[in-house]
Amino acid sequence: MGTELPGGPPAAADLPTNASSLVRTRLTGLVTAASANAVVSPAGLAQVLPGQGGVLISPTLGEAATDWQSDHLEVGASVGHADPAADQALQILACVGNRAVVLDGPAASVSGMVVGKHGAVLVTFPRSALRLIGPGDQLVIEAFGAGLQITGQDQVVLHSCDPALLGWMAGGREPDGRPRIRVAALFAREAAGAGLGMSARRFNLDLDPALASRPGTGAAAALRLGDIVAVLDQDHRRERRFRAGWLAVGVLCHGRSAAGGHGVGMATLLSAPADRISLVADSEASLRAFRPEASR
Amino acid sequence: MSRPRDNRAALVTVAAEGIVAPARCYGDPAGTAGGPPLLPGCGGVAVGVHMGDELDSWLGDHLMPGACVEDRADGQPGPGSLHLLACLGNRVRLGSGEQLGVVVGKRGGLAPGFLPPSLLAVEAPDALLERVCPGQRVIVETLGRGLLLPDHPGVCLANLSPAMLDLLPLAVRAGRLEVTVRAWFPPWAVSTGIGQDAWIGDVDIADEEALAGRSLRYGDLVGISELDSSAGRFRRPGYVSVGLVCHGPGTQDGHGPGVCILLSGPADEVTCVQGAEASLGPLLAELAVGCNSRPSDKGS
Repeated sequence: MGTELPGGPPAAADLPTNASSLVRTRLTGLVTAASANAVVSPAGLAQVLPGQGGVLISPTLGEAATDWQSDHLEVGASVGHADPAADQALQILACVGNRAVVLDGPAASVSGMVVGKHGAVLVTFPRSALRLIGPGDQLVIEAFGAGLQITGQDQVVLHSCDPALLGWMAGGREPDGRPRIRVAALFAREAAGAGLGMSARRFNLDLDPALASRPGTGAAAALRLGDIVAVLDQDHRRERRFRAGWLAVGVLCHGRSAAGGHGVGMATLLSAPADRISLVADSEASLRAFRPEASR
Repeated sequence: MSRPRDNRAALVTVAAEGIVAPARCYGDPAGTAGGPPLLPGCGGVAVGVHMGDELDSWLGDHLMPGACVEDRADGQPGPGSLHLLACLGNRVRLGSGEQLGVVVGKRGGLAPGFLPPSLLAVEAPDALLERVCPGQRVIVETLGRGLLLPDHPGVCLANLSPAMLDLLPLAVRAGRLEVTVRAWFPPWAVSTGIGQDAWIGDVDIADEEALAGRSLRYGDLVGISELDSSAGRFRRPGYVSVGLVCHGPGTQDGHGPGVCILLSGPADEVTCVQGAEASLGPLLAELAVGCNSRPSDKGS
């Protein structure tokens, strides 16, 4: 584990990719309905709490992932498609960091950014726009990033990652060539819960927030929505699974759950053998600070 | 040493309706591009596959023995009242009234919107399985919700009918419940199914290292350390869960043999010991064959 990087992210990381050969497609989706989740805590307490779906006005990126009276709250607007095949394409092709534009309703033409995946694709907008967007509004997502690979790093697998986001997450290379990836928190292998066995290109992995630490120090981590985090001993090349010696990196995009085996949700961005990646502790590694246009 | 007392006299038997599930396919039908091969296992009727068989003796994907039964629903069925009430050992009859067999497993149920169907496995003689068709109506005599052990208040039971409870190798030693299991797994070996209600589906054991050299059979009891299954299945140091192996390996990463949870509790109230009598497959196959002549689950 490296040390804290001074002064935030590097302007451009020395990380050649195949981005110039990737296809950009426009996918439509609708903002989904909000859910009221009936949830039972390990202590047996039953509650009904705001759940996934709909439009979350508050909290947003950079705010605490765990402090809210909610269950699996999703950052921003949750987007899906009624046709299962189109929904699957949206789920697989949309990448974190992609641009989204509202097509109709009072927020038409406002731009936002894909920030994660759960049952839906999650898109955040300026708060003024989130106050105008509602379930049923139509969006277009400019999907770009499926198939992304770091040149010469065959064992490093990327999912749902806009090339600009990869460049921003990376902190260059170690002298031995390993890509440096900036993360705000590190989860122990016991943290992995619901989401195991599911496709790493879709959905996300629930992580027990009590098992997160600040990389390098071991101190408890204050988790925020949008943080780039890593979890140990997870192989996310295909479906999410335990594999000693691997790791997965992703973005925290849904809030905590009171239910056992659930927690904050990490949408997968990268997976590799642990010795092929250099994780760098950086408390600023959060989508809150990511400006896609400035990184392209 | 003795068997624990239970409250079976207070339990209610409810007939719940289901249908024999169609066989469904997921994943890449061509099995190309290095993906897993497409194998049978989700739904339908597996003639010739029975409790007690070695999991590795069949080429399947989450294969369960006998007939798969699910709630009647429009579209893809979730875990409905049949799935939520059914317990292992419950008797199953065809819509015609003819006895079919007994419930011996559950699978499915990841989360709403994410899930393959929630299925029950019904063990039955081949002569009956050869005549059963997907779509056919079945009635499950559900019995077991509410079952508990009054002298072991920390122990939570799930998916257990009184008939199944009687088959479990349980003993009370110095006030603690002792369960015999075939195999014992660490918490990180447990994968898909974490975070879901213990009454829905199963959890998969998905670590090759932990499974190496085990040759598990349908109907084997297994123990899992640091897993609490009282309110959802989740990691909790100091707790253990015990379940029954009811489906075979899966072809995808993070999937493997499936375990239907039967009980869980604090490790200082439940002890697991390893022993050969924890292979319940033959007893369950026998129960299915004999269910025509059994007067009632509730007899003892």
